[in-house]
Amino acid sequence: MHPILQSWRRFGLWMAAWVPLGAILILVARLSGHLSFIEAVGAMTPAVVVMAFVCLSPFYVCRSLPLRSTAREKILINHLAAAFILSGGVLLVGRFTASLLTPSFLGLDARFGSAVPMLGLVVLMIYFVAVALHYAALELEASRRAEILARDAQLRALKAQVNPHFLFNSLNSISALTTIDAGQAREMCVRLADFLRTSLRLGERVTVSFAEEMALMKMYLDVEQVRFGSRLRLKQEIDPACADCDVPALLIQPLVENAVKHGIAMMAEGGEIVLCGQREQDWLHFSITNPYDPEAPSTGRNGLGLRNIRDRLESRYGGSARMDIKVEERLYSVALTLPARALR
Amino acid sequence: MNLRVVIADDEELARRVLREHLRGETDIEVVAECSNGFEAVKAVNELKPDLVFLDVQMPKLDGFEVIELIDSAAAVVFVTAFDQYAMRAFDAAAVDYLLKPYSAERFRASLERVRVRMREAKPVAAVAPDLRLASRAPGDYVERIVVKDGPKVHVIPAGKLDYAEAQDDYVALRSDGRVWLKQQTISGLEAALDPRRFIRLHRSYLVNVERIARIDANTKDTWLAVLTDGTKIPVSRGGYARFREIVGGE
Repeated sequence: MHPILQSWRRFGLWMAAWVPLGAILILVARLSGHLSFIEAVGAMTPAVVVMAFVCLSPFYVCRSLPLRSTAREKILINHLAAAFILSGGVLLVGRFTASLLTPSFLGLDARFGSAVPMLGLVVLMIYFVAVALHYAALELEASRRAEILARDAQLRALKAQVNPHFLFNSLNSISALTTIDAGQAREMCVRLADFLRTSLRLGERVTVSFAEEMALMKMYLDVEQVRFGSRLRLKQEIDPACADCDVPALLIQPLVENAVKHGIAMMAEGGEIVLCGQREQDWLHFSITNPYDPEAPSTGRNGLGLRNIRDRLESRYGGSARMDIKVEERLYSVALTLPARALR
Repeated sequence: MNLRVVIADDEELARRVLREHLRGETDIEVVAECSNGFEAVKAVNELKPDLVFLDVQMPKLDGFEVIELIDSAAAVVFVTAFDQYAMRAFDAAAVDYLLKPYSAERFRASLERVRVRMREAKPVAAVAPDLRLASRAPGDYVERIVVKDGPKVHVIPAGKLDYAEAQDDYVALRSDGRVWLKQQTISGLEAALDPRRFIRLHRSYLVNVERIARIDANTKDTWLAVLTDGTKIPVSRGGYARFREIVGGE
């Protein structure tokens, strides 16, 4: 249903807007048809009421013909056709009312007839204004929804950020180290604190530099290194030109967590995580590859985190960013292609 | 009486914490340390320890799969950072469930529980194996079935299981042209697998929906399911109704 018809308040406001519009139509009828004030009001009122409803109809047409994805000719032809048919209808209502009133007002029928061309023109114009208003309202709605989506994705990213199992396992490592190697236990506390502090700080921002995101990821891996020892190996092939690219905050970090949780942690002998970063003019290409055991026991859902990243890319860059997932025999890789500069 | 202990955890540091806590106990002897599920099954079945400290998430096999595959009556204490497995752990007849990181007191309390258990000489695996599989969260089905293959362990991904047939105390699992025997009831297996993917066509048969090529009428009240490889499986009246419900109800 049309949003204006969904609440009495909105409907009341809409009808109020038709008081001045109706007055214009009545004035046009009176001047171009030489009608008396009473005649004009009498003949035009039903037509104005009908017109008020007719001007809600572009909602459905506009919604099915979005400005961005529809050919211009198609938009033009459809709206023109609708405009002529609906205006004709409105004028017919006017003529019919006028003919009903003719017995009381001599010659009203003929005089109304002479007002029709001018009236038709004005009715058409008002209809086109209604179409334009509907497109504007739909555009506003779409941008507001994109904003809400972006904020949602941000919130979910933050929530996912503080992974309790990562914390508990790290604390268990610290608890082991306290008697084995007190110095390393302290070092581990510092690494954990660095990671948490930095992820909270970056999480408050919308965009961070690629270098900042990489630094955070390194802090995370430093902590996991203590847990997994020689099982966790890292190889970085990062082009220095990537450093100042913009990336959404905490977008890459979950990918590294996945690589550890579903990849390295499930391999008895461990493996190597490979990070690649390249800058190609206005584009940043980043990929993370980890070995995995296709026969490993299930480690819970992985898809949710990836969908979260996809949503964030979508709400932030529209269609211009990409995420590709490649699963080979024993390698899992996620590749991101982002505009090197954030959209403002 | 000495307690012989096996420790299974993929993290070196986690094993060291356990060993350190155990060092203070005079009646404990650590007979093996394992860093993945396969090693754990092998060690427990060969060494027959009295007690196993078992991590849940490990390479090769998870802690629950390890329990399914060990045939000794060892007491099991789960040691994990995940609290959501506690219910399943007790259903699997675990003696205790330690959350990482744990204190020395908590660890001693856990050992005390094990000793009490041993003194009372209660059979530790008091719960039927089927319940172990059945006690999962709704909608959480096993994606793979683990079977003992002599001293080795064989993993059958759920999608590769053609059908299972009940044979006394065992189920015969047909997969990739081979048959594997597992000590389990067919109802237990049915409860563990996703009911949208596996249908109990007959009292003795549980069949992978994707393998069913067609169902032919046989006698008045029985049907025959023909699988994609030509195998024919009897279908009971109830089985036929279940099939219609899943395949026809979409």
